[in-house]
Amino acid sequence: MKNRLKVLRAERDWSQQALAEKLEVSRQSVNAIETGRYDPSLPLAFRIAQLFELQIEEIFEPER
Amino acid sequence: MSDADQPSLLRRPGAWAGSIFASFGIIAGLRMSSAINATTGFILMAFSMVLLIPLVKSAMARQRAQGFLSPAITRYNKRFLLASFGYVLGLGLAVTINDRVELSQGETILIALLPIIPIFAMIWTMARYIAEEQDEFLRHRAVMASLFGLGVVLSIGTFWGFLETFEVVPHIWAWWVFPAWALGLGFAQCWMTWRDRTEASS
Repeated sequence: MKNRLKVLRAERDWSQQALAEKLEVSRQSVNAIETGRYDPSLPLAFRIAQLFELQIEEIFEPER
Repeated sequence: MSDADQPSLLRRPGAWAGSIFASFGIIAGLRMSSAINATTGFILMAFSMVLLIPLVKSAMARQRAQGFLSPAITRYNKRFLLASFGYVLGLGLAVTINDRVELSQGETILIALLPIIPIFAMIWTMARYIAEEQDEFLRHRAVMASLFGLGVVLSIGTFWGFLETFEVVPHIWAWWVFPAWALGLGFAQCWMTWRDRTEASS
């Protein structure tokens, strides 16, 4: 799964740690999702979408 | 990482883990050469276990710095530390009693429980960690590492069992399954950390 998390975070000038705190996850989780090493669960994907006020598919898209 | 960023030796978990293994090795060497008796060996072993405290502290500091520390990991570390002390105490008591007292079969089973109950506590601690970890990525890593450890035990154990049946290798006591599983789990955690760091920096 590809995602725009790094770009969205950079647009808001948030560090990985700051985003991790907002999502109540570890910094390593943010890092793993950003680098595509881990696909978040549906509840966490919804939390991310809610935080950025976007639809899930505006952040995540399947690899083609 | 520049030299100034390098943690001092006392803050490196590997240095403390190395110290523990080295002291266990020295004690085992002294014991095998009959330079010390079993009781002295266990007293020295108990003192060596104190090194676990700085090991856990430095490991937690590193986990915090790398963004891996969660409240569930903190609880896991404390519980595992307590169980480890219980294990050394239980093992020391069991071996000392077994060496010095003529025991019935029922009493021997009870004595064998002394080191086993802390092992049960370690297994419970691991199960609680999986249940209590709120961070799904860290939980995923722990589950994958546990499965890797299980794969190691099943593969090596079954292979060794057949080799034993065909009288190629000597008999190994079954209590080795837990340390073998834990070693497999630890190896998988180290490998995942190394892989994540490599991929993150590339």
